[in-house]
Amino acid sequence: MATPITVVSAGGEYMESVVVLEWTAAVGDRVAAGDPLVTVETAKAATEIPAPCEGILSAILAPPGSEVPLSSVLGFVGKDVDDTRSEVEEERTAEGPPPVPLPARDPGASALPGPDLPSGRILASPAARYAAKRLGVALSTVPASSPTGRIKLRDLDAASQAAAAAYARAPADDHAPLRVVASGSGNAPPIVMIHGFGADADSWYPLESRLNRTQRILRIELPNHGGSPKRRVRDFSSLARDIRQAFDDLRLERAHLVGHSLGGACALALADIRPRQIASLALIAPGGLGPVINARFIEGMARATQPASLRPWLRMMVSDDTLISDEFVAAAMFARRDPALRQAQQHMAQDLFPDGTVGFNLNAAMNRLTCPTTIIWGREDEIIPWKDALNAPGRVGLHLFEKTGHVPHLERPEVVLDVLSTVFNKKG
Amino acid sequence: MAMMRYAEALNLALHEEMKRDPRVFLFGEDVGRYGGVFKVSKGLMETFGDSRVRDTPISEQALTAMAVSAAMAGTRPILEIMYADFIPLSLDALVNQASVFSYLWEAHVQIPFVLRTQGGGGVGTGAQHAKSLDSFLTHIPGIKVVAPTTPADARGLLKSAIRDPGPVVFLEHKLLYNTRGDVPEGDELVPIGKARTVCQGTDVSIFASSKMVLEAEAAALELAKEGISADVVDLRTLRPLDLNALKASIAKTHHAVVVNEGWTFCGYAAELSATIMDHCFDDLDAPVARVAMPDMPIPYAETLESAVIPNAARIAAAARTTLA
Repeated sequence: MATPITVVSAGGEYMESVVVLEWTAAVGDRVAAGDPLVTVETAKAATEIPAPCEGILSAILAPPGSEVPLSSVLGFVGKDVDDTRSEVEEERTAEGPPPVPLPARDPGASALPGPDLPSGRILASPAARYAAKRLGVALSTVPASSPTGRIKLRDLDAASQAAAAAYARAPADDHAPLRVVASGSGNAPPIVMIHGFGADADSWYPLESRLNRTQRILRIELPNHGGSPKRRVRDFSSLARDIRQAFDDLRLERAHLVGHSLGGACALALADIRPRQIASLALIAPGGLGPVINARFIEGMARATQPASLRPWLRMMVSDDTLISDEFVAAAMFARRDPALRQAQQHMAQDLFPDGTVGFNLNAAMNRLTCPTTIIWGREDEIIPWKDALNAPGRVGLHLFEKTGHVPHLERPEVVLDVLSTVFNKKG
Repeated sequence: MAMMRYAEALNLALHEEMKRDPRVFLFGEDVGRYGGVFKVSKGLMETFGDSRVRDTPISEQALTAMAVSAAMAGTRPILEIMYADFIPLSLDALVNQASVFSYLWEAHVQIPFVLRTQGGGGVGTGAQHAKSLDSFLTHIPGIKVVAPTTPADARGLLKSAIRDPGPVVFLEHKLLYNTRGDVPEGDELVPIGKARTVCQGTDVSIFASSKMVLEAEAAALELAKEGISADVVDLRTLRPLDLNALKASIAKTHHAVVVNEGWTFCGYAAELSATIMDHCFDDLDAPVARVAMPDMPIPYAETLESAVIPNAARIAAAARTTLA
């Protein structure tokens, strides 16, 4: 290990660089600690820099006449000349083309970090790393242009940069509240409903239109869905936080909670963190109880730009195809006409269901629940396997319907209502 | 629009708010007869009398506790602490009283009071009269902290602070009092918690407040000559922080420089840096660069003082480093 010779301060002046005037020793000379070794010029004075330790002057990096930033390495003192080779190489690479004027090195200014990495790990900025991952670019194939050795966004190709830009879309909307559609009235605790991926508050119509006569209903719309703001949903916990915030903003003392599919997962997470406010929980084909989800469906739904490409996916949701009429498809497509919404949902799907897998598991939350809980599922669900329901503990009620797909409340609203009214009247 | 100095804009806001609301009163050392050492309260005693503009002895600890009690009793006190360096004397009343009373008594009590003070260096006032102790104050949940840069924001934010139902610390800077700017006519409020974009840029975000915004602007001009486009954001409110402004800027530039005149270690710039890491990690293309005061007493000699106070050159250098 050789010891670097540096200019730490130059005569108390605030300087950005110094000019090297003279070296009093040559490479290979023996020096004692404190010996004046090199003279540098600042704005007003010449300053002698002493040898930092005893040894051999093993390298001179800044020859007389060169101007160097304050705190840069002028040379090394080592055991012998060879001792210094690796440090010199490192300094030379770190210098890079054209020298960046450095601020005085105090704890307040961040210096070029010269990162200390275990070998084998590729150094890349978080943004470059994210963009490369999204585009499937191997970082090992990307050369770094920064003197820090860190791969930056600019080192990736244009496609990856575009991906990163899309990823950072509309951050200004980040804290806007989720949309909540209120309807109905009544004195009983209200019903809070959370729809599934690709749907919106209107998808509850078959239930809502019957329940609103006697109860207040609050339908929360997921981010990037319906009239809710579009924003990046990094992972399930951030989605759950969003839902919790929307729920807290409603300031309800007590509520019945109904969630479908991804909304079911959200409802389950909410019941877990706000147990005292949840009177009952009804989960319709909920996500998060197992790893499997029909990725082609999620992808296809989010991508479809016209009725013809949307229809097959809507049909996949139900057991009885005839429910998916042309009018139904047209209405569903109309609700998804905003390209920004579709794109936001595609990103959301990638973040929540990476590689077509449900990236979160709520079985532990399910086991912690104490409120009356019921799971409702169709045995012909092609989106999430109904057998996931069997992971639930014994105290959870289970209603499985024959000849029913992923949306029991669309296919069998009357029976689902029967089940729900029983749940709402149960005492916890 | 009227062109006026920062100190005049504050004076205008005080006149307007004291006229609007008879519960508002001002007290502190030399704020009455003398008109304040920086002339912010000039003419107020003449206009509103010595019961609403009160000169007090030098005892920051007692004064702050008095302000809290007066606010609880239904008035809207404005307390001036002459130098932010003596904020530590006010801290007990802020940390153990003003910030928690509403919580302890389940919102039956409100503490609507404004603590005005000024800090910062640059004129050779030494180690006891030049500090920026932003982080002492922003550390306290339940206290809002604002630090306006322009005369317009000084007036608009002071009016918002006086009308706020909770305690607000209002940080001024001794080198801003004589700066001039347009101030809108009418009862224009500037909301607490909203940052201001000073100049739009695409390469690097610079976040600053108070006097440091002027340095950041100068740095942006310097950087522009080198083809670097800086997005300068004046935070205006230090707490609650305008997170959306932070995120929107970094989503554009992927590079951040955070600036604060206070000390580096555990300072406000450190908080900004950590917040950016929490919320924008995947958007970052380089480590966040921090520009703040070195951890040392502020030297009295102006040459030494100017070497330690963050300035445009250091901000520009930090921007270049993060972009390298």
